[in-house]
Amino acid sequence: MSDAYSAAGRARWWGILAAACVIAVLPLVFRDSYWRTNLIVCALNVMLAIGLDFVVGYAGQLNLGQSAFYGIGAYVSTLLIMRLGLPFWPAFVCGVVASALSGMVLSLFAVRLRGHYLAIASLGFAVITYQVLLNWISLTQGPLGIYGIAPPPPVGLPGWQIDFTDLANLFYLVAGFALLSYVLLDQLVRSPIGETLTAIREDEVSAASLGINARLWKVFAFAVGTAVAGGAGCFYAGFVGTLVPDAFFITESFNILAMVIVGGMGTLSGPVFGAILLTVLPEFLRGIGDLRLIVYGLALTLVVLFMPGGIAQALRLARDRLMRASSRQTAGAKP
Amino acid sequence: MLTVALQQGINGLVLGSLYVLVALGLTLIYGVLVQINFAHADIVTLGAFSAYFFTHAFGGGYLPSIAVALLVGAALGFLINAAVFAPLRERGNELLPLIATIGVSVMLENVMLAWFGPIPYAFDSPYSERVIRFGGMFFTAQSVLIIAVSAAAIGLLYAFMKFTFLGKALRAVAQDRETAGLMGINPNRVIMLTFVIASALAGMGGAMLGPVLVLTPFAGASVIVKAFAIVIIGGFGNVEGTIIAGLIVGLIESYTTQVLGPGLIDIVVFALLLLMLAVRPTGLIAERREENV
Amino acid sequence: MSDAAAIFRAVGLSKNFGGVRAVKDVSLAVAPATVFAIIGPNGAGKSTLLNLISGVHPPDAGTVMFNSLDVTALPPHARVRHGLARTFQKIRLFKQLSVIDNVVAGFHARHRIPAWQYVWHGTAFRADRARCRAEAAELLAFVGLSGRGQALAGALSYGEQRMLEIARALATAPRLLLIDEPAAGLNAAEVEALLERIRVLRQRGMAVVVVEHNMDLVMNVADRVLVMDYGEPLFEGTPAEVQVHPGVIAAYLGAES
Repeated sequence: MSDAYSAAGRARWWGILAAACVIAVLPLVFRDSYWRTNLIVCALNVMLAIGLDFVVGYAGQLNLGQSAFYGIGAYVSTLLIMRLGLPFWPAFVCGVVASALSGMVLSLFAVRLRGHYLAIASLGFAVITYQVLLNWISLTQGPLGIYGIAPPPPVGLPGWQIDFTDLANLFYLVAGFALLSYVLLDQLVRSPIGETLTAIREDEVSAASLGINARLWKVFAFAVGTAVAGGAGCFYAGFVGTLVPDAFFITESFNILAMVIVGGMGTLSGPVFGAILLTVLPEFLRGIGDLRLIVYGLALTLVVLFMPGGIAQALRLARDRLMRASSRQTAGAKP
Repeated sequence: MLTVALQQGINGLVLGSLYVLVALGLTLIYGVLVQINFAHADIVTLGAFSAYFFTHAFGGGYLPSIAVALLVGAALGFLINAAVFAPLRERGNELLPLIATIGVSVMLENVMLAWFGPIPYAFDSPYSERVIRFGGMFFTAQSVLIIAVSAAAIGLLYAFMKFTFLGKALRAVAQDRETAGLMGINPNRVIMLTFVIASALAGMGGAMLGPVLVLTPFAGASVIVKAFAIVIIGGFGNVEGTIIAGLIVGLIESYTTQVLGPGLIDIVVFALLLLMLAVRPTGLIAERREENV
Repeated sequence: MSDAAAIFRAVGLSKNFGGVRAVKDVSLAVAPATVFAIIGPNGAGKSTLLNLISGVHPPDAGTVMFNSLDVTALPPHARVRHGLARTFQKIRLFKQLSVIDNVVAGFHARHRIPAWQYVWHGTAFRADRARCRAEAAELLAFVGLSGRGQALAGALSYGEQRMLEIARALATAPRLLLIDEPAAGLNAAEVEALLERIRVLRQRGMAVVVVEHNMDLVMNVADRVLVMDYGEPLFEGTPAEVQVHPGVIAAYLGAES
């Protein structure tokens, strides 16, 4: 079949292939550990942003608690490894599942609440999670934090091993998972599930009149979006080696939201660029000290006010203008 | 034992009345605009800082500093409405203004962080040292002042809403913007006025919270999350419910500190919030609305 | 009408809103391949009745039977799966989506895709997609919107939006279609086109319930008419009977004076 969908689908696969190539090349370009660290942070933020976008941009449910799901994934997997001696990958699965389950619990509120109420309920959830991490000292060691978390164990065959203490390899792992999450979410949003979530976002009453069980699908959207955040959390712990509750404070939720908005909510590729931009940009602004974090707020406000579709919209506009200009040129060439 | 309980109760009411000042602003804006101003938190913080600098750097009196904070708050409210809410109103998107004000809030907090630094300021009110004994209980003149000023502000607001034309216009816009427009009320003016009043209350609350809180650029953020809980527990847009819920949250905070320790305040308050949302999302004083579609 | 003949039956429906009686003790039965009109002056409770039938509001009393199945307790989305679709008085399209995507959203309950193909689009996925797009294009043609598929729903004229809403409802493959105030805001030509489409649907065996307060329009297409006034059934009969019924005339004149 060669309809527009298949053509667009092929274009997407080329894009994903290109992304894979970029991922492969990046650690070879950036050889110092400072930039390789930033690359990994970028990949983590991409996961957090596309997971949030699935809930906010597609299903239209403003979740201000993404930091909590990030934290739940990180703490659950780390505690399972350090307290119960679970190997990394089973603990990873548990972390993801724990995040998804708590996302589903929160989504039960989304089922009854709309818009602002959900925003505040999710914020409340993030505050409670943060406070529990801070105060349940016997479990989490509170503000002192958990130290000496090992990176994921090496994988491979005897004689040929990939060792994740190497930052380049760790980047490949995390970026690989980010790409996998992207492909998964991309397939979902381009299936009828994407249409269903969009319908719920646009008008719930109307969606119900088409047989859409908004309750069920909101739970689904939260489960998927928070599972991705949980996965990012598991990698975060192994990557940084230390867990403190402050890493999962509510401002982290706002930062992730800024990545989604700046990139363009309701598109999947936009938040990828938003996450990368807002991770890298503050690094370039280290010269201006504390003021550099202002870019999150500034970008968020300006984009909402002047370019609500974010980078994705800006790119679309630029492409349209370019095409119009080129068609005018060809029209002018043959008078 | 009873004395301690009473003492904590009074402390709770003092704190609660400050929360009411902050939460009332949120509820007023919600009532008129069905929107949330996230930067309300930073109006509180800036109110506290302006009062601090007025008293500590310029040697002004504490009472006048409350008026200064009120003016600073009002000005900020005016600006935020003009810069964010007014331009976004036509787009009719429910969530965009909320998201934009999250951005404004992040911006303001980082500007304050750059200016004022992360180290807490010691904001001493001269009234904090004057202790009044009553039975076995102590309270400071500051507590009396807080209760008196808050009660006066809430009373004035109530009278304003009830008896003045503008106040009635405000309520009319909250009920039905289109009809209010037909009645010759300019909704944009009323919305602007609501922001100014709401933010003046927040600034004022900040001046009085300054000596109570750990005064950092993030002071308001810790108050605002409780204020959100309060407006939801009280029923969004419902003034009476907000007052009751604010006092309840103040009491909860006070007794939680006494019984469980200060670390658990937020957990208890938000557990109550989530419970409330699960059981009775319309708030304490419910306005039941069912509409035909 | 005998029980077996009716596809839809409501018995003793009542609904109060904050002490105000919106609908009181209304019963009705609709046979397949008929057009059933609910008329009455503004505020007669027609839209509330429609919301009770479609499940937007639970009734305070009464039962709703669909295909001799009690659906009173079912939420709106579940009723759609039994073959009940509706449009809205205030048009509720997905305005930010394209016209074709609005219709495709109506296929929600009718996809035939194995679960794993949502994650990995395979042959069944492509076949389903092609089928839905083709059917959606047919539905657009049916309501006279061929060639507008890529336009944004919000960019359509008012009359076109009404027709699109009907196409979207038809995408759920209903056996009973509820249309709320279809003529509101339409010009004469658009009303005529709409009536003609409703007649075609009836011909295909669909039961159509039309809520309308424009009596003339109803008389042209309805097989049965229920007249409501102040939330109560005033009269039910054929259009010819309704036209000469003194109570109906009084209610209408009373409402207009």
